[in-house]
Amino acid sequence: MKRRLSLGLALTVVSVMASALAFAQGDAQWALEKSTLTYHMSHPVHKVDGVSAAAKGKGICHGGECNFLIAAPVKSFDSGDTNRDLHMVEAVRGAQYPMVVVRAKFPAADTASPTVYADLEVQFAGQTAHYAHVAFQRTTEAGETHITGTIQATCSDFKIDRPSFLTVPIKNEIPISVDMTWKPM
Amino acid sequence: MAQSALVREARNSSLAMAGVDASKAQLPDAPVPVGSDEQQQQQPPQQQTNPPQQNEPTLGDLGISASQTQGSARQQALLDKRTHMLKVHQTLGLITAIPMAAALITGPQAKAKGRNGETITEPSQANLDFHIALGGLTTGMYAATAYYAAFAPKVPGVKKKGAIRVHEALIWVHGPGMVLTPVLGIIAYKQENAGERVHGIASAHGAVAEITAAAYGASLIAVSWPIHLKF
Repeated sequence: MKRRLSLGLALTVVSVMASALAFAQGDAQWALEKSTLTYHMSHPVHKVDGVSAAAKGKGICHGGECNFLIAAPVKSFDSGDTNRDLHMVEAVRGAQYPMVVVRAKFPAADTASPTVYADLEVQFAGQTAHYAHVAFQRTTEAGETHITGTIQATCSDFKIDRPSFLTVPIKNEIPISVDMTWKPM
Repeated sequence: MAQSALVREARNSSLAMAGVDASKAQLPDAPVPVGSDEQQQQQPPQQQTNPPQQNEPTLGDLGISASQTQGSARQQALLDKRTHMLKVHQTLGLITAIPMAAALITGPQAKAKGRNGETITEPSQANLDFHIALGGLTTGMYAATAYYAAFAPKVPGVKKKGAIRVHEALIWVHGPGMVLTPVLGIIAYKQENAGERVHGIASAHGAVAEITAAAYGASLIAVSWPIHLKF
């Protein structure tokens, strides 16, 4: 009886540890459960946040390396003003290149820590930019892995002609805040 | 530029028909990005034509079809034209505010009261002529401003929200005001020219002009709202 209890306890501990480490190390596949991607735009008389909750994503960890893919329609970003949103889509050539696609790569072994450092490839506005060693905060709760972070993107990274208001262009920096919840498939 | 976009689109279509991942195929040559944050240095760009490896998810895995990633050069041209026309609308609108304000300032001086309060019967007085010229210029520029907004291409399926709704609603105040103000001004001018004191509907010329200018100013502010001054 005592031996059975010990065995049960050990199995429980192992399964809990396994699920906790699954995101970090094991061969696994992940699906994006929910997300918000937010771009921040600054101008001397304006500050605008455009939010998209329409991103889709999948991650594959295999052979010690994790590859994640996240994609969202450019027109899904909502700043609360349709006129501004249409201008944004025009400025980033969103009708010609309707998706923003992010590929993230990071070693599975490095992801046991609460901070994940990923190399990103961002396809946006018909251009591709790479961001190395971008830090994302990781927390795991109830089988879901929560990832937050900021990509320090700029308009010039994607050859975007900065829109102007009252003849003053917006700031070159357009940081993208990422807030994602992943679940194992 | 447009030709290269069409060539790119045609290439994407043929690749899609051949079963190539359009999300990658439609991407043009990658740029050399400008350096940014120390922590997030960008590497030299790569061509995006390599097929994904076995352990890399694809857009197809996300349920995103090739047609969803396919862009439309025609739609982009429509947006470009829309933005161009609205930029002209914005510039003309701001410039129009200058003669409008000047006409408001010169309006009370153009009432042409004589030394003893009697009506002046000579419309050749300089300030009256100047006021009329400013009013005419304002009306003409307003019409040009309105043209660029009214004839900017519309994007189908877009339900308007935000400050643009207030901006557009105010047209119903300053639009009729911009028609009525010069008409009343002409009537007032004719009455003064005939040696009469301005009377009847013409006496509302000043008040209508002020309401029109107030609505126009509110419209300018509305489309810029919310304003966060930070230099």
